[in-house]
Amino acid sequence: MILAAENIKIRCLVRLLYAVTAMVLFGSCEKVIELDLKNADPVVVIDGGVSDFNGNQVVRVSRTYEFTEPNRFNGAAGAKVVLTNDAGMTWNYTEVSTGVYQSTRFRGRPGITYTLDVTLDGKTYTASSKMPEKVILDSLTFKQFDVFGSISSYIAVNYNDPPGIQNQYRNVLRAKGKVEDDSVNEDRFDDGNKVSNVIFYELDELMSGDSVRVEFQCIDRNVYKYFYSMGQNSGSGGPPVSPSNPPTNFSNGALGVFSAYTSSTRVAIIK
Amino acid sequence: MFADMHYIRAVIFLFVLLSQVPPLFAQVKRTVSGAITDAETGETLIGASVRLIGPASANETSIAAVVSNSYGFYTVSAVEGTYTFVVSFIGYQTESRQLVLTRDIKVNIAIKDNNQLEEVVISATKRDENVSSPQMGLQKINVSEINSVPVLLGERDVLKTLQLLPGIKSAGEGNTGFYVRGGATDQNLILLDEAPVYNASHLLGFFSTFNSDAIKDVSVYKGGMPAQYGGRLASVLDIRMREGNRKEFTTEGGVGLIASRLKVEGPIVKDKGSFMISARRTYADAFLKLSSDSSINSNTLYFYDLNAKANYQLDENNAFYVSGYFGRDKLGIAETFGFNWGNGTVTLRWNHLFSQRLFSNTSIIYSNYNYVIKNMLDDNNFEISSAIKDFNLKQDFEYHPGGRHQLKFGVNAIHHTIDPGELTASQTSSVNPTTYESRKGLELAAYFSDEWNVSGQFNLVYGLRISSFSLLGPGNFKTYDTEGEVLAEQYYGSGKTVKSYLNLEPRLSMNYQLSASSAFKAAYTRNVQNIHLMSNSTATSPTDLYIMNSNNIRPETADQLATGFFKNFEDNKYEFSAEVYYKWMQHQIEYRSGTDLRGNQEVEADLLYGDGRAYGIELFFKKRFGRFNGWIGYTLSRTERRFDTIDEGSWFYAKQDRTHDVSVVGIFKVNARWTFSSVFVYNTGNAVTYPSGKYQVNGRTAFYYAEKNGYRTPAYHRLDVSATLEGKPGRKLHSSWSFGIYNLYNRHNAFAIDFKDDPVDLSRTQVVQTTLFGMIPSVTWNFKF
Repeated sequence: MILAAENIKIRCLVRLLYAVTAMVLFGSCEKVIELDLKNADPVVVIDGGVSDFNGNQVVRVSRTYEFTEPNRFNGAAGAKVVLTNDAGMTWNYTEVSTGVYQSTRFRGRPGITYTLDVTLDGKTYTASSKMPEKVILDSLTFKQFDVFGSISSYIAVNYNDPPGIQNQYRNVLRAKGKVEDDSVNEDRFDDGNKVSNVIFYELDELMSGDSVRVEFQCIDRNVYKYFYSMGQNSGSGGPPVSPSNPPTNFSNGALGVFSAYTSSTRVAIIK
Repeated sequence: MFADMHYIRAVIFLFVLLSQVPPLFAQVKRTVSGAITDAETGETLIGASVRLIGPASANETSIAAVVSNSYGFYTVSAVEGTYTFVVSFIGYQTESRQLVLTRDIKVNIAIKDNNQLEEVVISATKRDENVSSPQMGLQKINVSEINSVPVLLGERDVLKTLQLLPGIKSAGEGNTGFYVRGGATDQNLILLDEAPVYNASHLLGFFSTFNSDAIKDVSVYKGGMPAQYGGRLASVLDIRMREGNRKEFTTEGGVGLIASRLKVEGPIVKDKGSFMISARRTYADAFLKLSSDSSINSNTLYFYDLNAKANYQLDENNAFYVSGYFGRDKLGIAETFGFNWGNGTVTLRWNHLFSQRLFSNTSIIYSNYNYVIKNMLDDNNFEISSAIKDFNLKQDFEYHPGGRHQLKFGVNAIHHTIDPGELTASQTSSVNPTTYESRKGLELAAYFSDEWNVSGQFNLVYGLRISSFSLLGPGNFKTYDTEGEVLAEQYYGSGKTVKSYLNLEPRLSMNYQLSASSAFKAAYTRNVQNIHLMSNSTATSPTDLYIMNSNNIRPETADQLATGFFKNFEDNKYEFSAEVYYKWMQHQIEYRSGTDLRGNQEVEADLLYGDGRAYGIELFFKKRFGRFNGWIGYTLSRTERRFDTIDEGSWFYAKQDRTHDVSVVGIFKVNARWTFSSVFVYNTGNAVTYPSGKYQVNGRTAFYYAEKNGYRTPAYHRLDVSATLEGKPGRKLHSSWSFGIYNLYNRHNAFAIDFKDDPVDLSRTQVVQTTLFGMIPSVTWNFKF
């Protein structure tokens, strides 16, 4: 969280630096260019989770597609999706729409390790994730920051981090039904404290009466690393790095991640 | 723990062979020694040529020739007789006198600045040094050269001028970081008066920490490093500060678009000691203050540099020097956030002559780099501070036994302390105060080298550097397996050795003179690096972390073979060289994807180790004198890396790989007052990773990267011009105006390329290129009195 604050400030400073350059000089500019990107062979992507809520757990299986195509979910039909846990239970998933696989209703339990096997075109991809102990999202609060003259509003998630345990959190922010921010943080710097973690998604474009829904998840270490790396690629994790595929917990070369997580959600209404 | 035993045996065998050479001369040799200085300022001159020509009966061949060392000192010896003693240095009038050599004598020579205005000083070396010296891979630039070449915002810069030489490439637009022969930016040893400088840049890389007013001499070794240098893989950049005018007080300065400079120098005791103080400060924040908006004018953004040096010549045999550098960048956002960083170095030196044949230099050096980040927001206020501190002790000897050998030997000890960070916070903060364990290390080295004039045509410098590194306690030290899991953890007490490495670094450089104006050269060098920069960022950042060898990290090593042809034309007016190199690098470092370097004590768990290779050809053609001078440099090269876990162990282009790199520099002196200059650069785009597909995770688009650094950014090119108008001569206050235009034809070079949702059609992805600098004019006013 402090890292997020540090990063946004550093990015602001860099922006300030360029702004000063622009003030003195003719400045920098942006333009859209054409790049001839290669098209790699499609790769299997698995995006799956087990939450501690009683419901149909969902696994999405898809394939990568060409960069120039419109964004879409390129679902892969006909996969065999099986979930097991270390208590010896098994769930077989059924395909409800192309590439979307659902279990029967059940509730995941903290402390249990879940293993997902997805078989597609004769190849099996396996990932495991242990559901962490639950931390409750206490509240959401609005925060304002003055970033070079423009005051922006953000939302902060408030919770009590349990002491002595390594915790990882993921915040999925939805506005107008769309995922607008999906970021992770850990308790490396604030273990055992009452924490107010700012999600750096600007609320300024939202209108009075709009609602913001934040799902606060406790995730395991590997899942944290996956989403942290994803954030680094987009530059939100700090200074830009040479991008690479986030470290997946799936075997056999699939992209994506499988996460057993606890979930608590709160909604804030813009005043 | 030790270097490969076969390698060590081979090296020892080679040295035993070399030491079997029989003694060459039995005649009575006499020695002439002394210092070469500027007649006007008393400043010692580095690299001046000293020759003894004669005896008159023999045909007029030079029989002994040397260049003055880094302290302006020379020793030359010859058999008894009558000689013409000639001292020459480019940009100075040649001084010659008759000398009857019957005993060892001391001759201090002051030479006069050459004020013939049509001759722009373009090289610090003696005229045929590039051909006659066995040293390979060395390039020198003169301060006047730095001043003549156009640069961004008119802020002249050693490191940017350096990037115009073949084999040395810029790390980015307007950036002072540089890559030498496939090396990374942290593989350059940057020395300011012998003190290593860790972060040699200001304002996120746009300006170097070296204020050219304070600089006397710049040498860069791209290969064939002499044995007295060690510690980095790719290059040595040896920068020496001015000593100060020993005759009179002078003041010099300049007012530019972004910074002002002032330098004062003068005698402490006339002809015995002098001082120099030079300062520079930017005023970007002054522009912020112009804004009426409190959210802008309350911000801080500036840097400053302070260079100071003093020297005192106690007697003929003893001279003392003290020099220091202090520079800092300060950024701040109103009352909420502060970030500052900087280097400080202090060098104490004692030059002593034991005899005319034995010169000694003793240096004690302290070097410090640190940064502080302060966040002042109420509920998560914190302060992070981090530092690297080096204590460095050097003892160097130069011994002239007479005859055809010049020996150098010495020892060096560096004690490193790296404080990765201390995190402090107030009671109300949600941040827990933490202190990360410091790491201490000791580098010890001993070296020996011999410059041996085997015959009139064949010269050789061979040497050996033995370097060791020990990681010292106190602290907890972990060993990780290849998956990054902890294998072992152990506590070591204060001063206890955790891990040691010993390396032999043979150095060999030679020339075979084909004629008076052409030579063939070859060199082999092994370099070792014990301290590594952890940066997974595409840009350099002041918070980049240094880390030493450990149980997990082994010393980086590089072996370089180079060969070249050197030729001068028309009485050294034109210089041409072609050099080919091949370099093997071991124990190179990369990171697993998703590695978090910030405040990460476990960073070694996320490191990957692999190999590198770099090869290329460098062509250089230079016109050195005349009203029009300048050079063309071209490099064709390849730099690759290989890691088991990246792209299944296949070779990939390193980020510093550039296929073609061209620079053209022209300086034209129209008349006594006007000088025009121009620079053109072209290089292949950087090797980068771009998407080769996309997919969705949780309803959001993600990019699929099929190969590391498999793409290129668009090619980079740019033309800069500048004009300098000197004030009318003969006035007490001498002033000049410099006008420049950076990127004359307003080329939109790619600084960053991002992949974003198309704002018109959100389902599409577009490629957005950010250009940092369009066409930028600048003006600077310089004065001297």
